[in-house]
Amino acid sequence: MVSGNRVVLGNGIVQVVGDANASPEEEKKLRRRLVEKALETLSKDSE
Amino acid sequence: MRVVHYLNQFFGGLGGEEQAGMLLEIREGAIGPGKRLEQLLGSETQVALTLICGDNYAVEHQDELIASALEKIRAAGADLFIAGPCFLAGRYGLAAGALCKAAQSQLEIPAITAMARENPGADLYRESLYIIDSGESAAKMGEVLARMACFARKVSFNQEIGSPAEDGYIPRGLIRDQFVEKTAAERLVDMVIAKAKGQPLESEMVPATFERIPMPPRVKDLKRAKLMLVTDGGLVPKGNPDKIQGAAATRWGSYSIKDCDDLKGEHYEISHGGYDPQFVRQDPDRLVPLDVVRELEKEGMIGKLCDEFISTSGLANPLSNTRRMGREIADKAKRLGIDAIILTST
Repeated sequence: MVSGNRVVLGNGIVQVVGDANASPEEEKKLRRRLVEKALETLSKDSE
Repeated sequence: MRVVHYLNQFFGGLGGEEQAGMLLEIREGAIGPGKRLEQLLGSETQVALTLICGDNYAVEHQDELIASALEKIRAAGADLFIAGPCFLAGRYGLAAGALCKAAQSQLEIPAITAMARENPGADLYRESLYIIDSGESAAKMGEVLARMACFARKVSFNQEIGSPAEDGYIPRGLIRDQFVEKTAAERLVDMVIAKAKGQPLESEMVPATFERIPMPPRVKDLKRAKLMLVTDGGLVPKGNPDKIQGAAATRWGSYSIKDCDDLKGEHYEISHGGYDPQFVRQDPDRLVPLDVVRELEKEGMIGKLCDEFISTSGLANPLSNTRRMGREIADKAKRLGIDAIILTST
């Protein structure tokens, strides 16, 4: 079953942790935000 | 007919949890539930040997258990192998399933077991085996043994096996041809009418079922955690060395990122037929976020990143396949002492 709070919504299917339309700096920031969110999610108890 | 029967240490009468590390032991004739089973199977049938093994030993040394059990079953000249019933006992169910599958495929004799649907062995082996649905309560031992014996006779005498509901086994996901009176259109209309009238109806399509998987506990200390990156987006080194298929992949690969801080498009390709790969091809970090994870590692936000990332292609894949690969990947992560995984999915 795909559910629970260990799923972080990425930036779409074709570039889950990227954004080709953004500048390289912006893109990396977005990627970092998503990875940090994933790490935060991993360090919390599930509901 | 000669039967070899498998029991865990508890049902074999050799002890409780304190004996779970016990190696395989062999007893002549029937033991414990095997005695009743032998009676139920009829006077022509004899439980020649009973194999008894500790639950922990059985799962921790499964290959050794299978090898020695097969040797005993073969030497006993068994026509049939029966394991359990295991009810909800997880380690027992896993061992019973593994042994039945091995007896069936390697010795080519019928093998049956019984366990609860929630037993992890059921999910793992229900597609390969007939597993009698025992329910959870060992208080039903007598009734379950009777159903096992009845089913065992059917299997041994090559009688036709009915549907899971008719014969009381856990659905295997098999599709079987059948002659029926009415066309699909007529049956469908009948079902719609029955539904509209609030009458009972039985769908011919069995939806895939997903067992609930408990969420692993949280990572207590990220700063000391070993992290692994996994993807089902099909990122593979140029040339696709493991020949991972772009759809219904049967394989996964593990690729070194040791001393690498940033994935370069020229070194990789995408084996995945389900999404437009142009963006990931330009910069694979868009799928496997190595560049930022390395930064976080250097900043001490995470303990260490694993030297390899794991990849397969998650497209149009039967559950039996993905479950197997998931288990294999989890085994590898365990062996490497991984504390946390980020899986990026397209």
